[in-house]
Amino acid sequence: MADSEVLHAEHRLEYPYSRSTGPIIGAFLTALRDGRFLGATGSNGSIIVPPTEYDPITSDDVGELVEVGPGGVISSWAWVSTPLRKHPLQTPFAWALITLDGADTAMLHAVDAAGPDDLATGTRVTARFRPASERIGSMADIEAFVVEGGAA
Amino acid sequence: MAERCAVIGVGQTHHKSKRDDVSIAGLVREAAKMALADADLTWSDIDAVVIGKAPDMFEGNMMPEIYLAPALGAVGKPMFRVHTAGSVGGSTALVAAHLISSGIHKRVLTVAYEKQSDSDAMWALSVPQPFAAPLLAGAGGYFAPHIRAYMRRSGAPEYIGRMVAVKDRKNAMRNPYAHLHLPDIDMKMVEDSMMLWDPLRYLEACPSSDGAAAMVLSSEDAISGHYPPAWIHGMAMRSEPTMFAGRDQINPQAGRDCSADVYAQAGITNPREQFDCAEVYVPFSWYEPMWLENLGFCDLGDGWKLTEAGATAFDGDIPWNASGGVLSSNPIGASGMLRFLEVAMQVRGQAGEHQVDGAKLALGQAYGGGSQFFAMWVVGSEKP
Repeated sequence: MADSEVLHAEHRLEYPYSRSTGPIIGAFLTALRDGRFLGATGSNGSIIVPPTEYDPITSDDVGELVEVGPGGVISSWAWVSTPLRKHPLQTPFAWALITLDGADTAMLHAVDAAGPDDLATGTRVTARFRPASERIGSMADIEAFVVEGGAA
Repeated sequence: MAERCAVIGVGQTHHKSKRDDVSIAGLVREAAKMALADADLTWSDIDAVVIGKAPDMFEGNMMPEIYLAPALGAVGKPMFRVHTAGSVGGSTALVAAHLISSGIHKRVLTVAYEKQSDSDAMWALSVPQPFAAPLLAGAGGYFAPHIRAYMRRSGAPEYIGRMVAVKDRKNAMRNPYAHLHLPDIDMKMVEDSMMLWDPLRYLEACPSSDGAAAMVLSSEDAISGHYPPAWIHGMAMRSEPTMFAGRDQINPQAGRDCSADVYAQAGITNPREQFDCAEVYVPFSWYEPMWLENLGFCDLGDGWKLTEAGATAFDGDIPWNASGGVLSSNPIGASGMLRFLEVAMQVRGQAGEHQVDGAKLALGQAYGGGSQFFAMWVVGSEKP
């Protein structure tokens, strides 16, 4: 039997969803909209950023939300020399794990720097937020991190 | 010889049409923490976690067990996800119980949920697939013709469905966790509600709920908690095809086989006499008389007569769905577990306003898919 005799049908599946974020993730996202960072206090006193809703060790509810950042330290990074269309920056940049001041866990975000020579483990960076009118309560409200005291 | 297994903790959320104050993790944790507190245990006392929910497309959260493992204290422990459509809450509890009856674990946390407000399950069930029979408008569209066939086969009068709708909503008034609290419910209110899928009217159908249910199951040597344990006397599951020309969708073979199995384990020869109450998956009013027959509470064709005579009412000889049932709360993935949980509450004597006096032995049943998955357990206040 020829291939053309086998039936095929296109099946496109699209469906709308919504998400409720809850009191911890919701507070973190709302703070981003205000240009601030919040972390959650874990059972051993560590500050988790971005916060989880529950303690990763004991599974109990996390404690108090505390303000951290906006500065922090790069703990690991990778240079992107040729950004793709969907990347957050269209000029060469770094993906980096950044431990915000006051936090005990690192957070992934983009670092806008002139070149890889500007970056190292231990380099201090700070958040560059989008203008308040453009912020919606999303990780993308942070345009990128930039090297502290740098030109970018 | 299987190890004895008992329910030692139960928890459920206040079921609502929209819980936008919590995430999915927050919702399931609410029920789980309540079950742990009822069992007087903490997360670290649990050996394994078994979670169930209805199809992932309902919330668009693919494989939610991945994200919920840490939220349910499952880090470093075995975790299983069960998936049997609407019966999943029941099957999930049974998989959890098997982990104890097999002697593998001593304390298992089992949780089921649905957050219907994150999407619209009725339309998620109605996606047309190439080369397949369409389900049309949700579960009601699928089941309505079977209800018509039951009415024709049994000669049941039209008002029987409305009686079930009123009875279960009156029961829900006794249950603070129920989604629907309709103090003025009566036959006329049901009759005046919109026709959705002939012969089912709006008030003969279950609501769309956000909610979660959780239980802590225990082996005999690890019993704890604030109420006496509910001992499991029997458990069974059966499946059959969705579409098959020789299938009796009104009285499915899988349901009859499943009840025969669970009754044999529990020594039940006359369910109406021996059970003190039952929680049975009735998402559309007419499934009460249909399942009365399928579960052998009466002869074939007589289910509607028990409903009509008030036998299944809260003050009847065999109360069905004293909690208000699926007709009053339907967080789909959790709805089957709620049936299993509610009968455990009854034999533990912790059902409060909807407690059936002196309940000692009870049947929990869940069904799912196109009446093709069945899960049942029998629980009692005495050891099996």
